[in-house]
Amino acid sequence: MHFIGKDIDQYLSQREYVDTAVVPLLELNLNPSDLKSSAGASEYLQSLTALLEKQFKGRILLFPPLSYTSGADRERVAEEISAEMKKAEFKHVFYLTTDAAWRSVEKLENVLWLPAIPTMDMDRNFKQSVMEDQLRQVLPLFLKEWS
Amino acid sequence: MSNNRVSRRQFLGYTLTGVGGFMAAGMLMPMVRFAVDPVLQQKEGGDFVLTDQRVDEVTEEPVRVDFTFEQTDAWYVSEVTSSAWVYKEGDKLIALSPVCKHLGCTVNWAGDPEQPNRFFCPCHAGRYEKNGQNVPGTPPLGPLDEYDVQEQDGYVAIGVVKANTLVV
Ligand code: FES
Repeated sequence: MHFIGKDIDQYLSQREYVDTAVVPLLELNLNPSDLKSSAGASEYLQSLTALLEKQFKGRILLFPPLSYTSGADRERVAEEISAEMKKAEFKHVFYLTTDAAWRSVEKLENVLWLPAIPTMDMDRNFKQSVMEDQLRQVLPLFLKEWS
Repeated sequence: MSNNRVSRRQFLGYTLTGVGGFMAAGMLMPMVRFAVDPVLQQKEGGDFVLTDQRVDEVTEEPVRVDFTFEQTDAWYVSEVTSSAWVYKEGDKLIALSPVCKHLGCTVNWAGDPEQPNRFFCPCHAGRYEKNGQNVPGTPPLGPLDEYDVQEQDGYVAIGVVKANTLVV
């Protein structure tokens, strides 16, 4: 489900089934030389999480990307977001990111780090199949966590 | 009298303009809708979407067939890729929606290796028979929806989604 009014009504009435939160972590880097790759990473992360939501609509609540500036203190971001997530009492929380800085942050559990693939110049069919390939890498991690 | 105050006449004037504005909008709206709608709805009618799945390659084993169409969400038009589970029953083509009738996850044919002749929903272990019938005792409360489906020049074409007609 998405973090939108209509889906939240359903979430509230079906909480025992929708037990998993997915939070994309997105770095904004507006240096002229990094702008394009930052946008590409954003596109990649959002297409991937959208596919994931489609696959697991009834069990996950997909949040809008948590966006922070390139200089942001990841440790602090980690503390704040995990404190906020606790309030909603999800059984499982996944963070998805393409930002390598998260690999050294230990305060967050279940951070799935994926190197962004620049899909913006691919044609639609090719992009679709690349993204499904990516999705296939992520799905087993969810199934494992749930089992 | 302060000239900031709204006089009775001005007040009436404002109110009437307001009401008049509403009425004008009320009259215009249907006309605008009338003018715009046919364009917007072009793709949403009973049209079939051609896929790249050859009909002669479809067997009795359901295969996933993807198709892309334009979806209009208010004034935002986006391309959406959906899929269907397509198989043959004798000569008849059948296409089922992969959307789980419990809470909407995507179901897979033979998704659970232990029950290779059923659809499986990975979210809460929902199960369906090949014709879409939900297996009692699993969370889904109804059968999988069905798509209108036809052959176009040897390829599978997917139409609108409808309630399952195969389950008796
Ligand atoms: S969404 Fe399929 S079983 Fe719950």
